Amino acid sequence: MTALRAEALAARLPPLLVEAQRVAATVAQGVHGRRRVGQGDSFWQFRPFVTGDAASRIDWRQSARADRTYIRETEWEAAQTVALWRDGGPTMRWRSRAAETEKIARADLLLLALASLLLRAGEQVRLIAPGSRMIAGRGGVERLAAELDVTQSGAVPPDAPLPRHARAVLIGDMLAPLPELQTAIARLASRPIRGHVLQVLDPAEAALPYTGRVRFEGMGEQERLLVPRCEGVREGYAARLAAHQAGLAAICAAAGWSFAVHRTDHSPESALLGLYHALAPHEGRG
Amino acid sequence: MVFAAPWVLLALPALPLLWWLLRVTPPVPRQERFPAIRLLLDLRSDAETPAHTPLWLLALRMVAAGLVILGLARPVLDAGQSLAGAGDLLLVIDDGWSTAGTWSMRMEAAERSLTRAERVGAKVMLLTTAAGFDGAAPVSTAAMPAAELRPRLAALRPKPWPARPTPALLAGLHPGSVVYVASGIDTLPAFQTTLAALGPVEELRDPAAPLLLLPPRSEADRLVLRLVSPPRDQPRDCVVLAQSGDGSSLARVVIRLAHGEDHAEAALRLPPELRNRLTRLVIEGQSGAGAMVLLDERWRRRPVGLMAGSVLNTDSPLTGPLFYVRRALAPFAELRDGALGALLGRELSVLVLADRVLEPDEVTELGAWIEKGGTLIRFAGPSLAEHADGLLPFVRAGGAAERRMGGAMSWTQPPGLAAFEADTPFAGLAVPEEVHVTRQMLATPPVTRADPHPVWARLADGTPLVTQAARGAGRIVLFHVTANADWSDLPLSGLFVDMMRRLVEQSAGVASVSEGELAPVATMDGFGTLGAPNAGAGAVAAGAIGGELASSRHPPGVYGPEAGRRVLNLGGGIARVSEAPPVPGAMEGAIGGTGAEKPLAPWLIAMALGLLAVDLLLSLRLRGLWLRPALILMAFAGPAFADEPNPALVTRLGYVVSGDASIDSVSRLGLAGLSEYVNRRTNAALGPPAAVVPGRDDLSFYPLLYWPVPPGAAAQPAAWLATVNDYMAHGGIVLIDTRNGGSGEGFAEGADAALLRASAGLVVPPLAPLAPSHVLARAFYLLSDYPGRYAGDPVWVQRDQDRTNDSVSPVIIGGHDWASAWAVDEQGRFPFATIPGGARQRTLAYRFGVNLVMYALTGNYKGDQVHIPAMLERLGQ
Repeated sequence: MTALRAEALAARLPPLLVEAQRVAATVAQGVHGRRRVGQGDSFWQFRPFVTGDAASRIDWRQSARADRTYIRETEWEAAQTVALWRDGGPTMRWRSRAAETEKIARADLLLLALASLLLRAGEQVRLIAPGSRMIAGRGGVERLAAELDVTQSGAVPPDAPLPRHARAVLIGDMLAPLPELQTAIARLASRPIRGHVLQVLDPAEAALPYTGRVRFEGMGEQERLLVPRCEGVREGYAARLAAHQAGLAAICAAAGWSFAVHRTDHSPESALLGLYHALAPHEGRG
Repeated sequence: MVFAAPWVLLALPALPLLWWLLRVTPPVPRQERFPAIRLLLDLRSDAETPAHTPLWLLALRMVAAGLVILGLARPVLDAGQSLAGAGDLLLVIDDGWSTAGTWSMRMEAAERSLTRAERVGAKVMLLTTAAGFDGAAPVSTAAMPAAELRPRLAALRPKPWPARPTPALLAGLHPGSVVYVASGIDTLPAFQTTLAALGPVEELRDPAAPLLLLPPRSEADRLVLRLVSPPRDQPRDCVVLAQSGDGSSLARVVIRLAHGEDHAEAALRLPPELRNRLTRLVIEGQSGAGAMVLLDERWRRRPVGLMAGSVLNTDSPLTGPLFYVRRALAPFAELRDGALGALLGRELSVLVLADRVLEPDEVTELGAWIEKGGTLIRFAGPSLAEHADGLLPFVRAGGAAERRMGGAMSWTQPPGLAAFEADTPFAGLAVPEEVHVTRQMLATPPVTRADPHPVWARLADGTPLVTQAARGAGRIVLFHVTANADWSDLPLSGLFVDMMRRLVEQSAGVASVSEGELAPVATMDGFGTLGAPNAGAGAVAAGAIGGELASSRHPPGVYGPEAGRRVLNLGGGIARVSEAPPVPGAMEGAIGGTGAEKPLAPWLIAMALGLLAVDLLLSLRLRGLWLRPALILMAFAGPAFADEPNPALVTRLGYVVSGDASIDSVSRLGLAGLSEYVNRRTNAALGPPAAVVPGRDDLSFYPLLYWPVPPGAAAQPAAWLATVNDYMAHGGIVLIDTRNGGSGEGFAEGADAALLRASAGLVVPPLAPLAPSHVLARAFYLLSDYPGRYAGDPVWVQRDQDRTNDSVSPVIIGGHDWASAWAVDEQGRFPFATIPGGARQRTLAYRFGVNLVMYALTGNYKGDQVHIPAMLERLGQ
């Protein structure tokens, strides 16, 4: 049974990976390196030797061509750990008729594409899950995908040991009650970890397009609600959703995190670009 | 229209209540899964107006409910009135001969009665009135539910004999009501009164009267057809067909039953040759034993016995005493020779005695035969003139006078014949001038009351030439001259033939074996179909068969041994058919009065179910369980389109579409015929040919392309040429047919020029005439010429020394119109004749086709085999 499931998952993986790589490639063309001197492997520039530089840093080959002595500087490539998490709860495994993909599929796609981008950039990624491993290198996306599929996840990120000053990206519909979310984010922020929250919503969740008499069932067992006239509650729902999102944004802002909303009927590229920019270090920081 | 369960209609007033209930009950909500339900909890709608069921859906449901109520009330359309009385129903069905023509209507009428009884839950007793096929008298069935009675009703068949129901049949029956499907003829009044006493009677009759065809009366030159029927107010025309044994109608006679008449006659005149072939008379458009009369030898054969005074030289040409008689009678009568005892031992219609003196015991024997109906024709002569015996039309002791006229010693000229009198059998015959009588026997039979015309022919001077006298049922006819040309010219003339023929026709048919019992051979069923004798049929006395009344013991049919078949006809024992008065006090009706009852309940319920099914679909849709109509349609429709067969799966020949429908049709038929021939003769398995358009279709599937070039062909487009060139360059073979070779310019004029135009741009290798040594000429058959529809022109192939493409010629050019020769149409015939013609040419055409296919399929493989001896030699073996 497990083998069968694994096989099914494996069959599902490559298209997801390919899609993730494609999305990542689209975004990568618009993103450039740090353009800063730092620790790394790739050459950045030669600069004249100044006193105080270590002699071991002198590039003798370059220095031999000229009268001066040159120091070879490499580009800053400080590897940052990015902890990734996506909501794997039952509410994610749903899509309305207006959407083409389930929320969890979009969340997986975004997560893997972001990981692919990060790994290309030389960062390290890991999942926020107990027992997850650090992943680096270009081939890490496959491992991450495999790990993602076997990781059980709830509606809020779990408590996992993460390095300090890592970055975190939380992707999910964030429909859990605000206190739970606040607890989780505060716990991460206290390490300290800065991060980004991306709320993935189905278009139906965003707009409540139903009409007439509708019996709503939650994804759980006992959640049922009969709405006699759906049009009548639409505005109230929109207000509640806005309040929920405002609350989320406030929680994030309090923790120094950023917050964004993505709908599954929008293109994943824009969301990914937003995520990537949110992660990119701002000038003067880092 | 009646309702079988009218109390259900009481539910109709409840419909408004249903309407109200449906109005106030909100529709079932749609089911939606929604993850963000937490945000919806406790939300109060600002406008809490419960949604109503849509009005149109409400109307749909009301109609469905109304239909269900109506359907449960079981309405019945075209229902007859209900049964007259309570209690069991007695269903009496006449099944005598007269009911066969309207049997299906009678069964429907009975079925309607059953349905009515079933509706009220009454049990039914079934009683028929004619004796069964096994001879058993009819007995009423026990009272049983109508459903159980239906198989018995369906098993009923009309009987070919009369039904004579007696009051005893009704003894012990106590029905609540009676339905009598009556024949309307010949019913005992006692039966009717007893029936009326049982309970309320409903009598159903056929308004049209039954027709009964009686056996025809045989007269001299005709059959008199007789028809009886109960009288009717309007005249009726009945068509009687005289049919031969193979069922073909030889004559058609219209018999008119006048207003108020109960019988009619009509004459059927047929040449004896045709008349002898008749086996039955049937009333056109009627079935049943009453509408059919079987004919046996009584109406047909007239065996004629011939005897002469001297056994010697009876048939010597021109002089023998029986020579002319035999010549005159042989074409239309059965002639027999032999001693008197042998002749009379078998059936005999006519006995011809030519100047023969009878012995006294022969006179007795013959006299008895004549009394029973035999016709004796005697010719005078020297012996008879001297020894007149008792079997003459006149009584005369001793010899008869003899008269000579003309001759050397006489002053008188031999007289001719006088015209025939109107009341004689010879009336109407022309008297030729050249017949003269030189010698005659003189005698005049007495005129009696029973026989007012003893003289049937006279000479011009008034002396009798042919005299006759009736004896019992038979007759004695005497020619006062000899049967040869000794005494007169009469036997030499055509008149003699006519006279003999009239005499024989006028005689009675053979009276066959008159004693003993005749076993049934084939008997009729009620519809007039002859079959194996039924169980109750027994032998009938031979003497009584003509007038026997048909019964279950003696059903109409064929009786007797093979040599002497006799028929027993239903009409033989019935002289009149009289109408029976209606049952006293009965309610009368017609059997075809109303159509079958049509219960409407199944239709109404089905419509309601259909509406409810629609309602179900609509409800599901309203609840969000959206079923895609396309999916449903596909589930019902199944695979609507058959895929184009994959051309790669089967080897097929192709023909180039010319654009001319007739040419394309010939190409298709031709290649289909060739494919069929190849499949039959060889191991190759070819599918049906394919029409290809180079440039549009992929040609690589076809080993051989047939390209008929019509006379008006224009230059082909570049894509076309490129495709064909590519095809030929990669191993394909194109057979180009100008369809004019060897036909002169008579067919497909201008096709050569058209070929030049159409093939401009084709890469055609250097060509040479096809020689018998070429592989194509020996790929399967060894051929030296290659005809199609035409023959004689050379066929061109690639020059043999060109080694490109394995020496397989990519193009074969000829003009023999091969497709026409190969063509086989849907009926398996060859639609096109070969020219110059013959089966051999077509065979050779097919063989050339087989060689072509083999050549296309195997290339030069057979060419290698030709070289096997050389190869073996080279290998040093």
